[in-house]
Amino acid sequence: MSKLRSVIRHEYLTIVKQPSFWIIMIAIPLIIAAVGAISYFGNKSSSDRIEEIAKDLKNVSIIDKSGLINKDVVAAGGLTLSEPQKTDEIREQVRTGKKEALVVYPETLKAEGTYQIYLSSDDLTKMSAVSSLGDSILKTSLFLPLGSKEIITLAQNGATSDVTIYKDGAETAGFNEYIAPGLFVILFYIIFAFSVGYMLTSVSEEKENRSMEMVLTYVEPRTLIVGKLLGVSLVTLTQVAFFAILAIIAFAVLRQVGGGIQLPFGIDFAKIVFDPLAIFFGAAFLIVGFLMFAGFMTATAAAAPSSKEANSFSAVFYIGAFVPFYFIMLIVTNPGNPVVSFLTFFPLTSPVVTLIRNAVGNMGTLESFAALAVMTLFMFVSIWVAVRAFKLGALEFSQTIKLSNLFKR
Amino acid sequence: MKKPIVTVKDFSLTIGDKEIVKELNFDIMPGEVFAFLGSNGSGKTSTVRTLLGIYEATSGSLLVNGKRVTPKNASNVGYLPEERGLYTRSKVLDVMVYFGELKGMTREAAKDFSLKFLERVELADKANLKLKKLSGGQQQKIQLGVAIMGDPKLLILDEPTKGLDPVNRKLLLDIVDELQKKGTAVIYITHLMEEVERLAHRLLILKDGKARAYGTVDEVKKEFKSKSIEDIFVQIYKEKSTDLSTGVAHV
Repeated sequence: MSKLRSVIRHEYLTIVKQPSFWIIMIAIPLIIAAVGAISYFGNKSSSDRIEEIAKDLKNVSIIDKSGLINKDVVAAGGLTLSEPQKTDEIREQVRTGKKEALVVYPETLKAEGTYQIYLSSDDLTKMSAVSSLGDSILKTSLFLPLGSKEIITLAQNGATSDVTIYKDGAETAGFNEYIAPGLFVILFYIIFAFSVGYMLTSVSEEKENRSMEMVLTYVEPRTLIVGKLLGVSLVTLTQVAFFAILAIIAFAVLRQVGGGIQLPFGIDFAKIVFDPLAIFFGAAFLIVGFLMFAGFMTATAAAAPSSKEANSFSAVFYIGAFVPFYFIMLIVTNPGNPVVSFLTFFPLTSPVVTLIRNAVGNMGTLESFAALAVMTLFMFVSIWVAVRAFKLGALEFSQTIKLSNLFKR
Repeated sequence: MKKPIVTVKDFSLTIGDKEIVKELNFDIMPGEVFAFLGSNGSGKTSTVRTLLGIYEATSGSLLVNGKRVTPKNASNVGYLPEERGLYTRSKVLDVMVYFGELKGMTREAAKDFSLKFLERVELADKANLKLKKLSGGQQQKIQLGVAIMGDPKLLILDEPTKGLDPVNRKLLLDIVDELQKKGTAVIYITHLMEEVERLAHRLLILKDGKARAYGTVDEVKKEFKSKSIEDIFVQIYKEKSTDLSTGVAHV
């Protein structure tokens, strides 16, 4: 037991004491925040500039041949409608640079839904501004007969729907039911992206730095593998805790600064449902799936002679974890499909598929238990293979061990 | 009468289709330096790995203090393998303490020993440096420290002086001398025959997995009618060898 504890501590500290571990941990949220900020401010400044340019677009002519444009709307923008027969003349002025732009709404607008814009330069911002102006004049003119400002806004923006879903005669929480179990899908990918690879690196490095022979003199391969798995699991918990703390801080700051933030898809914290069974299966699929992949990674690292080759072999497991997204619509909408059933029980796709199906609630309790049992079986198989490959391959520094040797005495 | 600390009886090892060692017999007494010699690929390292329980013998027995070595009872064995290497991304003291714990020592005892050893080999100022910052020779001294931690009754040194300068080589041999005088049995694997002449009480020369010479240094010299172990070694390896898997003699 004390050796196991030593291995766990060693694995944990070896990873978390590396500056690169913390650099990556801190860099990822910073990069996400920076990209978000750049995108937000970039879009904002770009739309501000378009509005600014649109305001200054006084040297623009508007011609209406469709009869759909309201002259008051045009006048509100500081412009006037030009005579339709002057189209060629004004177009020539645009071509020679005397006019900035010309917008022509043709007789066929209603039938074909197309109008023309002529520009005196290839300035993209000006192009966006004139398009925005043309679009705005058309929409406002069309909505104007509706009457009040509220009705026009409703017609332009639409309304949100408040959906009530009944299942087996009882009202459900709809999308809010998916959130808590859905978090396990996100968690799985965070863990998969960060931690599963640590097992590969840990074993590969031990082989490459030739410390394995001394370690195996004093520690059973099983103890070493389990110690590594638990050490890496602790690293994962550290990462999850770190990101959770960051998320809480970000949420608190945004609430303080922004006076309340709008969550996507109309998510309301107060309405999130915590179904104990869905949470149980989410956690179980996550843990068992993680351990299964970690076992396969360990076996790969132990069997391959170097980390380079181990990394190449491990690609198959990464592909397995992402394949379900090619079938996402099928998984969500048609759980009875044989392909979905296969992906649910196939070891490499099983963790992600079961987590998704558990999140959207299209997996019965019996099927969940069956999938969990199969996954658990493969988890033990993967750990057994890892220990076996470790015994055979840990001291093999020049060649990959044969698969058939794994099953020999 | 003293009991042998190591007893190897009718030991054979086959890995895959390859017969590595066949019918090997030897024993080692406490306080004895036993030179285990042979060319590359002769089966020395495989024998040591089986003695340590890393490999499983195909037949025969390999016992230390009358028992098969397992990780549970390996704490009285120190091993410096030929394949050198420690956790280069970790700090010197952390690595030593980790191995001390794996050998069954308490954290405090392992730390205490490590600091004293580092003082002895003039590396005390490197205790909190990462191993990769140390030179090859310095790393080798750390690995020796790890091997002799926990006062082992059997110390296995596989080419311990390889790559060491004369000063550090002398330091290492002095440490081996001290341990041997305290009663530690040493299996000494080397290609340097002058070290064998200087240190070894008895020796075994392995060729193609079979013992070709075994006894005290004087007994072996007498048997081969030679004054030098090096000459005997060369003589053995110039002889026709036998392919163990086919039994066919070839040059």
